[in-house]
Amino acid sequence: MSPLRITTRDTATGPVLEITGEFDYTNATELRDLLGTLTLRPGRRLVLDLAGMTFCDSSGITALIAARNHVHAAQADIALAAVPANTLRILRIVGLDQIFPLYPDTDAATRS
Amino acid sequence: MRFTDLLTVGGKLYHETHFAPLLRMQGEINGIALEIKQAGGDRLPVLISSAVKNGSTGEPLLIRTTVFDARDRRAYEEELLRSRKAAEEARKEAEADRARLQDALAVLQQSLLPATLPPVPGVETAAHYHTASPDRLGGDFYDVFPVDGKRFAFFLGDVCGKGPQAAAVTSLTRYTLRAAALHDPDPVSALTTLNKVLQERYTGGDPRYCTAVFGVLEPASATGQVAVRLAAGGHPPALRADGTADFLPTPGGLLVGVLPAPHFATATTTLGAGDTLLLYTDGLTEARTGEDRATLYGDEALRDFVAGHAGKPPQALVQALTGLLADFGDGLDDDTALLALGVPASGPTTKNPL
Repeated sequence: MSPLRITTRDTATGPVLEITGEFDYTNATELRDLLGTLTLRPGRRLVLDLAGMTFCDSSGITALIAARNHVHAAQADIALAAVPANTLRILRIVGLDQIFPLYPDTDAATRS
Repeated sequence: MRFTDLLTVGGKLYHETHFAPLLRMQGEINGIALEIKQAGGDRLPVLISSAVKNGSTGEPLLIRTTVFDARDRRAYEEELLRSRKAAEEARKEAEADRARLQDALAVLQQSLLPATLPPVPGVETAAHYHTASPDRLGGDFYDVFPVDGKRFAFFLGDVCGKGPQAAAVTSLTRYTLRAAALHDPDPVSALTTLNKVLQERYTGGDPRYCTAVFGVLEPASATGQVAVRLAAGGHPPALRADGTADFLPTPGGLLVGVLPAPHFATATTTLGAGDTLLLYTDGLTEARTGEDRATLYGDEALRDFVAGHAGKPPQALVQALTGLLADFGDGLDDDTALLALGVPASGPTTKNPL
């Protein structure tokens, strides 16, 4: 079990949150709490870098959707970068690959 | 007046049978709790110690007795008894509260799932619900129910999240789908209604949604075949077992409750004699297997397992899968629901007058 860690950094296009460790029922609210402290300006993009995420359950997926709602409420945009294969498979099953812009890595997600 | 004249009747007896003999044997006795009668008739709790004083040749001369007033001590003991009794009562009350809470939880849990499935003419049904944790209300659901004279609706799904909040969504989902189907049993229409209800009920920072397969069975009494139309949102594909087993793909259907106007995927099939349709939640395919619990059980393994039981009636298939779930042991950490609908190999067992 690797504990969840979320680190924040700023880029030219907006904030990047790196989510590492297991993202599940026990800690999924951490992302929501963190988002509450972030100020997103309209037109900016929030990138969730999932390269180091080792596990994501349905609560983790819920947190991603909550993040999307939060970002859209601020008229900003959200993208997922480096989604691990297992999570990508789940995103496809639940149809979320159609509503989240997906990028191979944070560089690609912050370039546009 | 003798010392024993001061004692109560019980005390006198005790003195005769225990106190005096021990005093004779040991020469002294300490700290015996007795009660002595007061002039007014009240009783005074005391602690008595006595010692025999012997003469130079060893013969007993007299008995020295010390009497301690034990009222404080008695009050203290009574206080202890009282608080022990209070603690005992509080414990009993907590146990009763707990039992009541468990009863309430059990009733709520039962409201999330049908107690039994209704008989469907020409169709055999079987279901199983595996609860990952007894005190954590489940988030999976399924149901089968008649929608009109000849058609039956069924659904199965998984509410994202766990605990009481998820259970509330499960309940809302189940009864919304049942009501929606009575109004319009079209599968996409039923899921669209549920989507709208979840969107309206849960907005903002606490989105609630579910995966679901919703379908309609239409048994044709003449042929014994059953037409199935279904729609899925965010749910793993159903498995269809005839001589072998294959997925009935429903790709691209979105989770129910996420977007205002989602796309749901549809599929149709016909079940003939000996064919079974299996719906399941991802607790089954996401179970962790292997020594290190690192490998997911997966779609392929499930398809092979079902293929190995192809031709068996739904009851037998669900029973075999229940055994499989048990074999997962602690690799299965999510609730899992199973629903199998099949046409008996020997043809319809129930004559349908319609």
